Amino acid sequence: MATAIANMFRIPELRKRILFTVGILAVYRLGIFVSTPGVDRHVMKQLLNQPNSGSFATLFNFFSGGALERLSVYALGIMPYISSSIIMQLLTVVIPTLERLNKEGDQGRRKVVQYTRYGTVVLSIIQGTGIAFWLERLNYQGNSVVRPEWAGWGFRFVTVVSLAAGTAFIMWLGEQITDRGIGNGISLIIFAGIVARLPNAVIESSTYLREGLIRPFTAVGLLIVSIAVIGFIVFMERGQRRIPVQYAKRVVGGRSYGGQATHLPLKVNTSGVIPPIFASSILMLPASMAGFAEWGWLAKVRDTLQGDGFAYHTLYVLLIIFFCYFYTSVTFNPVDVADNLKKFGGYIPGIRPGKATADYIDKVLTRITFGGALYISAVCVLPSILVQQFNVPFQFGGTGLLIVVGVALDTVQQVESHLITHHYDGFTGPRGPRIRGRRVSIPGAPVSP
Amino acid sequence: MSPVQPAPPALPASATPFRTRLNRAVRRWRGERTAYGLEPFATTLRALERTDLRALADAELLARARALRGPTPDETAVFALVREAARRALGLEAHACQLAAGLAMVRGRVAELPTGEGKTLAAVFTAVWHGLSGRGVHVLTFNDYLARRDAAWMGPVYRLLGVTVGCVQEGQSAAEKRAAYAADVTYGTAKEVGFDFLRDGIALDADPCVHRPFHAVIVDEADSVLVDEARVPLVLAGVDEGGGPDVRRVVELTRGMQRGVDFETDAEQRNVFLTDAGARQLESALGCASLYDGTNQGLLEAAHCALHAHALLHRDVDYLVRDGRIQVIDEFTGRIMEKRHWPDGIQAALEAKEGMDRRTRGRVLGSITLQHFLRLYPHLAGMTATAQAAAEELQAFYRVDVHVLPPHTPSHRTDQPDAVFTHQAAKRRALLDEIGRVHATGRPILVGTLSVAESEDLAAALQAAGVRCAVLNARNDQEEAAVIAEAGALGAVTISTNMAGRGTDIRLGGSDERERAAVVALGGLYVLGTNRHESVRVDRQLRGRAGRQGDPGSTRFFIALDDDLFRRYGLTDAVFARHGLQRRDGEVDHGGLRADVEHAQRVIEGQCFDIRHDLFRYSNVVEQQRRLVRARREAVQRGDPEARAWEAAEPQLYARAVARWGAARAARVERNAHLLALDRAWAEHLCWVTDTRETVHLVSLSGQTPVVEFRRWCTEAFARRMEQMDQDLTGALAGVLAREDAALDELEHARGPSSTWTYLVNDDPFQSGFELLKGGALGFSAIAAGVYGPLLLAWLVVRRWWGGKRGGKPA
Repeated sequence: MATAIANMFRIPELRKRILFTVGILAVYRLGIFVSTPGVDRHVMKQLLNQPNSGSFATLFNFFSGGALERLSVYALGIMPYISSSIIMQLLTVVIPTLERLNKEGDQGRRKVVQYTRYGTVVLSIIQGTGIAFWLERLNYQGNSVVRPEWAGWGFRFVTVVSLAAGTAFIMWLGEQITDRGIGNGISLIIFAGIVARLPNAVIESSTYLREGLIRPFTAVGLLIVSIAVIGFIVFMERGQRRIPVQYAKRVVGGRSYGGQATHLPLKVNTSGVIPPIFASSILMLPASMAGFAEWGWLAKVRDTLQGDGFAYHTLYVLLIIFFCYFYTSVTFNPVDVADNLKKFGGYIPGIRPGKATADYIDKVLTRITFGGALYISAVCVLPSILVQQFNVPFQFGGTGLLIVVGVALDTVQQVESHLITHHYDGFTGPRGPRIRGRRVSIPGAPVSP
Repeated sequence: MSPVQPAPPALPASATPFRTRLNRAVRRWRGERTAYGLEPFATTLRALERTDLRALADAELLARARALRGPTPDETAVFALVREAARRALGLEAHACQLAAGLAMVRGRVAELPTGEGKTLAAVFTAVWHGLSGRGVHVLTFNDYLARRDAAWMGPVYRLLGVTVGCVQEGQSAAEKRAAYAADVTYGTAKEVGFDFLRDGIALDADPCVHRPFHAVIVDEADSVLVDEARVPLVLAGVDEGGGPDVRRVVELTRGMQRGVDFETDAEQRNVFLTDAGARQLESALGCASLYDGTNQGLLEAAHCALHAHALLHRDVDYLVRDGRIQVIDEFTGRIMEKRHWPDGIQAALEAKEGMDRRTRGRVLGSITLQHFLRLYPHLAGMTATAQAAAEELQAFYRVDVHVLPPHTPSHRTDQPDAVFTHQAAKRRALLDEIGRVHATGRPILVGTLSVAESEDLAAALQAAGVRCAVLNARNDQEEAAVIAEAGALGAVTISTNMAGRGTDIRLGGSDERERAAVVALGGLYVLGTNRHESVRVDRQLRGRAGRQGDPGSTRFFIALDDDLFRRYGLTDAVFARHGLQRRDGEVDHGGLRADVEHAQRVIEGQCFDIRHDLFRYSNVVEQQRRLVRARREAVQRGDPEARAWEAAEPQLYARAVARWGAARAARVERNAHLLALDRAWAEHLCWVTDTRETVHLVSLSGQTPVVEFRRWCTEAFARRMEQMDQDLTGALAGVLAREDAALDELEHARGPSSTWTYLVNDDPFQSGFELLKGGALGFSAIAAGVYGPLLLAWLVVRRWWGGKRGGKPA
C-alpha cells in the first residue's frame, strides 16, 4: 500500500491531477462562506436546527454540506443540474430528436450535455425565484429571515442571480474535476459536502467527552465500530459472485489451452445506495405531506413513524429489501445478458444458452440480492440504533457513509487505472521499471506453461 | 518552353464565401488547427519564383544537390532543384499548389490537394528534402501497382539529383528489400512496410532484417490509410503444425441450416449464433448429449466457425475463389489482398464450404495496428484529396494537422442532388434508364458500385440492353491501368467498385486525349454512384474522379432506402416513418429526405470513429508491451551483457557449455534460445489478449469499465508471463546440456514462411439508456434518488412494465 501511494506521486500526470482535484475542492468549500446578500444568517440557522422543521430542507442541507443554513450562494447545490439531467433523460424517451442525438455517438451526446447545462441554468433561475419567495415568508419567532433594508424586488432579483450563479459555478467546478482531475466531479463535490461535517462532529464529540456526557469507553467503542462498519462496507461493495462463462467464438491460431474461461461478475449489491434513499424518501412522505395538509389521520401516521420507534426501523428495513429487489429487477435484465452472451458465442458450462441461462442468472441474482439487501439494511439501521442508545451527537452510518465509501472506492479505482496506464513509463530505461504493481487475479492467465 | 509561372495571387478574401469563412472561424475557435490556402508559404513561393536554374548543366544540378545533403537542407534551394529536375526529366511544370503541398508536408502536415492536381509530383519535393538527410523516407502508396508506377515514373527526377530510389513489393527477397530500404527514398504500401517491420521483429539475427531505423514517412491517400484502414490490425502469422478443430464434418451439417430457424444473426451482420432448434439438430447429428456442457468446446467452436463462413461471408462480396484459393477482398479498397486470410477456424470452415483442402494454419507471431505503426516514425506527413473531413481524427490519433490547398484551376464539376428511391428495383430501373440515356449522347460514364457481385450484375444487365461496358473490380485488378485509361473515351461505360475512387487518372477523350474536345463539349465525365458508402470520404473520392484539373464533369448518386447501409444500421424504417413514405416506382422527392440521408451517413461515420477510438484505447497497452519486448529483443541480438540470461543466472553450467562447444557457439545458442523463448511468450500473450479483448465487456455488468480492467489484466498477465519465461529459460540450459548436439541444431533452425492476416474488432455490446442511476456517478444518483424518489419510482415502474409489453427496453 505504501508503494501504491509513493507511485501515485511519482507519476507527474497523476500528481498534477490529484493536486488539481484537491485544489478545486478547496475552492468549493471556501465558497460556502459566501452568502446571498440580504439574509440574516443567524435567524436562518436557528430555523433549520428546529426539530421537524420540514424534512425536505434538512435533506437539502445535508447534501449541500450545510449550504442552506448559511444561505450561501451554493444553497441550491447541484440539485438543478441533477434535475435537468433527469428531465433530459425522460425527454430522450419521449422526443425523437433527442433520442436520435443520443444514438449518434460522441457528437450527439455532447450536444445533449450542452442542453442539460442550459436546462440547469433555467431550472436554477426558477428554483431561485421560488426560494426567494419562500425566504420572504419565513420567520423564526417573529424575526424575518430577510434583512429589512433589502426587502422587495431588489432582494428577489439579487437572490435569483446569486443562487443561479452559485449553481453554475458548482457545475463548472464538477466538470473541471472530471476533465482534469481524478474521479467524477459531481460525486466528489457531494462527498466533500458530507465529509465536511466530520471535523465539526469530532469537535463536538470531544466536547461531550470532556464534559462527561459520554464515557471514554463508549467513545472508543464507537470509534472501533465506525471503522468496522467502513471496513464492512468496503468488503461488501467489492464482493462479487462470479459465474464461470466460456466463449466458443472462433479459433485464433494454435492455442495451447482450450476455450477462454472468463466469468460473469454479479455484484452482491447491484443497486448501490439507491434503495435506502428511496426507502427514506417514502417514509418521509407522510411527514412532508402532513406539513402541507391538515388531515388528522396523516398526523397520526406521522407520529407512529416517528424517527426512533420500532415501527419506523422495521418498516425501513422492509422497504430497503423491497427496493433492492425492485431496483435490481429494473436495471439488470437477465434476458438481455443471456442474449448478449449468446450473440457473442458465450455460454455457462452445463447450461443451454437462451432462456435456461437467463433463468439461471436470475436465480443466482435473487439469492445474492438478499444478502446485499441485508447488508445495506444493517449498515443503515444499526448505527442509528446505536446512536440513540448512547446519545452521541453525530450521525454515522447510513446512506451518508455508503456514499462516502462508494465515492472513495471509485476514486481509488480511477487512481489505480492511471497507475496502470503509466505502468510502462520509463520502463525501458537502464534501471528497469520505476513502478511496481499490485497482484490481482486474472481469469485465464497462465498458471503453468 | 513555357515561361516560369508566377505564383497565383493569394485568394482574395471576397472569393471565399462568407459562410465558409464563418465556418472556419468557428472551427478555429473550437481548437481545430486546419490551415488554408497558399498564404502561409508566400515567402518561400516568392523566393522560388525568383529562382531560375535553367542555365545550369545537369552535372551542376547533381553537384548542388550533393552539397545540400545534411540534416535539414534549405527548403527553397531543394525545391528549386527538384522543380528544375522535374522540368528536365519529365517535362512537368510544378505549379504553386504542388509546391505548397510539398512545403506543407515538409512541415509535417497532411496536405489536401484536389484530385488530379499531381500529388505524385508534390510528394517528390518532400521526399527529396527528407532523402537528402540521408536517413531515408518511405513514401506509402495505395497499392503495389501505384508504388511500382510512381517509383518508375519519378525515377529520372531522383536520378538527376543523385537521390537513390527503391521500391518494395510483395514477394521480393530479403536482399532486394534491404537494398530498397537502404535507398534514400523508398516507395511501398503501408501494409507491406508494416509486415516487413513485423517480420524483422521475429528474425533470429541481423541477417534477414530489412529495415533501417525509421525517419520519415509520406502517406499517399492519407485519409484512407490513416483513418479507414486503421481499424484493422496487421497480424503476422506463422505456420503451426498441430491444433485447430476439424471443421469439415460440421460444415457439412451447417450447409443445410436456415436463417431464422437454425441460426440467427444480429442486425449489423457481424455475429451469428445457433438457435435452440439448430443446437439440438447438431447435437443429434454429432451424437453428443449437449454442446454446452463444457466438454464439447471444440465442437462448439467448429460450429460457430462453420456458421460464420456459411452465413456472414459471401462469395464475390467478401472473397473470391481464384486459382483454387480463397482470396480476400478488402472492404475499403475493393481490391484483392494477397496473403491475407481470416482467423484460423473461419478460414478452415470457408475452405471446407468451398470444397477445398485445408491450406493455411497459422499461429500469431506478431501484431501491430496501423495507427501505432505509423506513430513510430518521427516525421509523419501525408496527402489526399479528402482530408478535411478527417481532420479531427488525424489530430486526435496522430497529432498532425491538415492543410487545405486550392485547386490550380478552379473546378467545373457539378454535383447533382441525389436521386432517392424507396426500393432496390426502382433504383435499378432508373439507373439503367439514366445510363442508357446518357450513353446515347456518347458521353463517357463511370459507375461506382459497392461490391464485385453488384458490378457484375449491372454489367450483365447493361449488356442485355445492348450497351457495351467495361468492368473493373477485384477480379481483374491487374488490368486496372488499361481499363481506367480508356474510361474517359467517347461512349465509354465503365462499371467499377470503390476501386475506382483512387488510383490512375482518368483523362477525357481516352488515355491520349484524342477525343478530348468532343467529350468536353458533351460535359465531361459523368460519374454515377449506386450507393452511399459508410464513409463520406469514399463518396467524395468517387466524385473527384470527374472534373479533374478544371475539366467539366458531373456526378450523381442513386440511393435506395433499403440499401445495405440503411438496413444495417436500422435506419430504413425510421426514415420511412418520418416522411410517411410508401413503396413507389419513381424517384422520391421529399424536402428533408436528402438531409436525412446525409445525416444517416454522418451518424454511421461517427460510429466507425467510436470503433477506431476503442481499438486505439485497447491496443495502447499491448503496444507498450510490444515495444518492451522489441527493445529486449534488440538488446539480445546485439549481445548486450545484461541480456545474457544464462551467463548471469547459471555461471557454472554456462562454463561447462563454453568448455564443450566453444565460446562463440555457446553464445549463439544462448541468444537463439532467448529469442525463441521471447517470441513464443509474446505469441501466447497475443493469443491471450485477443481472447480477453472479446470477453472483457462482461465486467461492465458489475459497474467496472472494460478498458480499465483490460489494461490491468494485460499488465499483470504480461508480467507473469515474462517471469515464467525467465524461469523456463534458465531451466532450459540444463536441458540443452543434457541432450547434446541434437538440441543445439534444433535451436539454430530457421523459421518457416509466414503469411499475414487481419481481423475485425468487435464493438462493446452493453448499452443501456438508464446510465444516470447506475453505479457511475454515485453521489449524483444518490441525490437524484433522494429528492425525486417517488417520481423516479413511478417512472421506473412504468418503464419496466410498459417497456416489457412493447417488447424490449425503450431507448
